[in-house]
Amino acid sequence: MDVAPALEQLLQDSSQVERAVVLGSDGKILGSTLPDQVAAETFAQHARELIAVAAELRSSDGDVTRVEVELAEGAVFVIHEGETTIAATTGPRPTPGLVTYDLRTCLNALADAKPKRRRATNKPKDEGKE
Amino acid sequence: MRRLIRLAVLIGLAVWAWRAFMGRREPGERAGVSYADGSAIVLEPSSPGFERLASAARAALGS
Repeated sequence: MDVAPALEQLLQDSSQVERAVVLGSDGKILGSTLPDQVAAETFAQHARELIAVAAELRSSDGDVTRVEVELAEGAVFVIHEGETTIAATTGPRPTPGLVTYDLRTCLNALADAKPKRRRATNKPKDEGKE
Repeated sequence: MRRLIRLAVLIGLAVWAWRAFMGRREPGERAGVSYADGSAIVLEPSSPGFERLASAARAALGS
């Protein structure tokens, strides 16, 4: 599934997610639900900042897989799986488990759509002749 | 014995009233971070690091 339909599906499935952006391994935006590119880039920048701050909270190295900040005015979720990151906002008092599940489902849909490596089927013609 | 029962009932009522009326006023702010090695931390507003995450989150919510 491409990023745009996956995000559309996310907004349909989740009544809590308001905005979302998907980032690639290089941090570039792969897709977003925001109306324009500038807003998407600003939101993506804040998501990257959240991951950076979360990584600094621990002395030892370790990739951040999830950041979840619930505030009175709303909540922000960032999920990182494999090479893809998704960041989303919700209104106040979300159900964190459900939001996380919906975001992971979206990431899984994107991961399933990626072309898998084909196993080499061509064997050397000389093999087995000797 | 009766005094003890009364005291227990009063304490119970006081705890219920505190949680019912004061607990709801708390905004319920918190932050959680999970790492690839399976570890996770939960930050409450009083814990160090929460405000840094909260300010980034506020910026994201306002963007």
